[in-house]
Amino acid sequence: MIFFLQYVIRRAFQNIRGNLFPNLTTIGIIAISILIFSAFTLISLNLTSFLKIWEDKIEVIAYLKKGAPLKEVEGLLKNTRQLEGIEGVKYVSPFDAMSFLESKLGSQKNLLQGIQPAVLPPSFEIQLKKDYRNSTKIKKVVSQLKQFPHFEEIQYGQEWVETFSALVHIVRLTQWTLGCLFLFAIIFITSNIFQLTISSRQEEIEIMHLVGSRPAFIRVPFYVEGLIQGLLGGGLAIFFLYLLYKGFFLYIPSSIYAWLARVPILFLPQWTILWILIGGMFLGFFGSFVASMRVLKE
Amino acid sequence: MIQMNHVYKTYPSQISALSDMTLEISLGEFVFVAGPNGSGKTTLLRILFGAEKPSSGEVIVNGMNITEKGFNKIYSLRRTMGIVFQDFKLLRDRTVSENILFALEVTGHSRKEAKNKVSEILSRVSLQEREKDSVLTLSAGEQQRVAIARALINDPPLILADEPTGNLDAQMSIDVMGIFTSLHLKGTTVVFATHDIDLIRRYPYRIIYLSSGKRVDVHRDEEGKTGE
Repeated sequence: MIFFLQYVIRRAFQNIRGNLFPNLTTIGIIAISILIFSAFTLISLNLTSFLKIWEDKIEVIAYLKKGAPLKEVEGLLKNTRQLEGIEGVKYVSPFDAMSFLESKLGSQKNLLQGIQPAVLPPSFEIQLKKDYRNSTKIKKVVSQLKQFPHFEEIQYGQEWVETFSALVHIVRLTQWTLGCLFLFAIIFITSNIFQLTISSRQEEIEIMHLVGSRPAFIRVPFYVEGLIQGLLGGGLAIFFLYLLYKGFFLYIPSSIYAWLARVPILFLPQWTILWILIGGMFLGFFGSFVASMRVLKE
Repeated sequence: MIQMNHVYKTYPSQISALSDMTLEISLGEFVFVAGPNGSGKTTLLRILFGAEKPSSGEVIVNGMNITEKGFNKIYSLRRTMGIVFQDFKLLRDRTVSENILFALEVTGHSRKEAKNKVSEILSRVSLQEREKDSVLTLSAGEQQRVAIARALINDPPLILADEPTGNLDAQMSIDVMGIFTSLHLKGTTVVFATHDIDLIRRYPYRIIYLSSGKRVDVHRDEEGKTGE
């Protein structure tokens, strides 16, 4: 077994050395395809992470009708807390709202001089349970709140959540559509290049058949060659993606950088990198397998 | 050792290469398969080493019925025989020893074991002194000896040779025939396809003569000449 492995690896590297140009072409094609796929994965990952951060901060603000008696408000507060998906509810009186505005305006708070707190409506700040902080479930909560006639208006930044979710969805869809297209393209291209590589070793293969080589001795080195190409292609793709990722921080304007500093821009996690490398190896292997099925018949 | 019973081979273009071929070759025998070009010699040999399947009939080689349904261990069959061709089929970018080493390695010998065996195999065809030379620097006769050496790596009891002297001059042919003869004298069965009647006349071995894919009875006269 050890001898067989030694033989297979030695033969695979001999094959790569003997057909350097076609091998580099295959590695390059695999690398470019995986780089594009990984770039979309990275974008999708960051958008999803951004959406998650934003969703964690999501809350619903329900504005009460003016002049609602305090006794009714207490009952409403209790009823709202009992609704499905709600973690906590905080009553914000017009005075609280005014102090919040003042704190937000800072040195320009004198703009609010002469304005009575009574012009601001009282409201409920409603925190949602973790599972409910997404665009579909939030609507459920809002529809329950709408049952109460005491609320004038309910806000939760729905357009923003929906648009962003749609964007993430489109990126993911593009990522997987491209992934599938690249899958077929890579298998088609690599198997054709492999066919050329195998054909260039036809003399050796013929001799192997004549002297009684086991089929595994003939085929497996080509499969290993495919695995090596896939691994190198995948590795190169990850390497270039990392360079692009680092380069992104070097060339973005400082104003955007300051904004981005509040949002972590992630690189692919180790498991994703591992899966991409395994995917690359699978593509290389499958390309060589398809080619060998076509060419290695005696 | 070899048995062919009513073997027919017709190619998809309806060309009949072999017709009702029945023959038997015993262990240790030296047999010439003779006949003009296109008579079916190569087809017969290709069937014997499993490169072609007959259209019908039964073929048994070294105890293996290669026409049996489900027979797929061609490599096992090939390890029981050595095959030699007119065009040598050597790796031209390698040395003499590398050609033998390659064949040994791909048949499962470890590198160390293979290296030890190379000199021994080359000494059987008197080429041990040219071990490190590129095959391109060898004469045609020497290249054929390398090909014969390669055919001997599995110590086969059977050698199939398809026009092995076809590219050689008279003297080289005699040298190469000398190797086949000595193998035969050591007990190896040799099936030697050739259209060279002069060569056949020099050796007293049985002849299977083919004409248009059919076997034709031949006899030798007192001077060794053959005739139908």
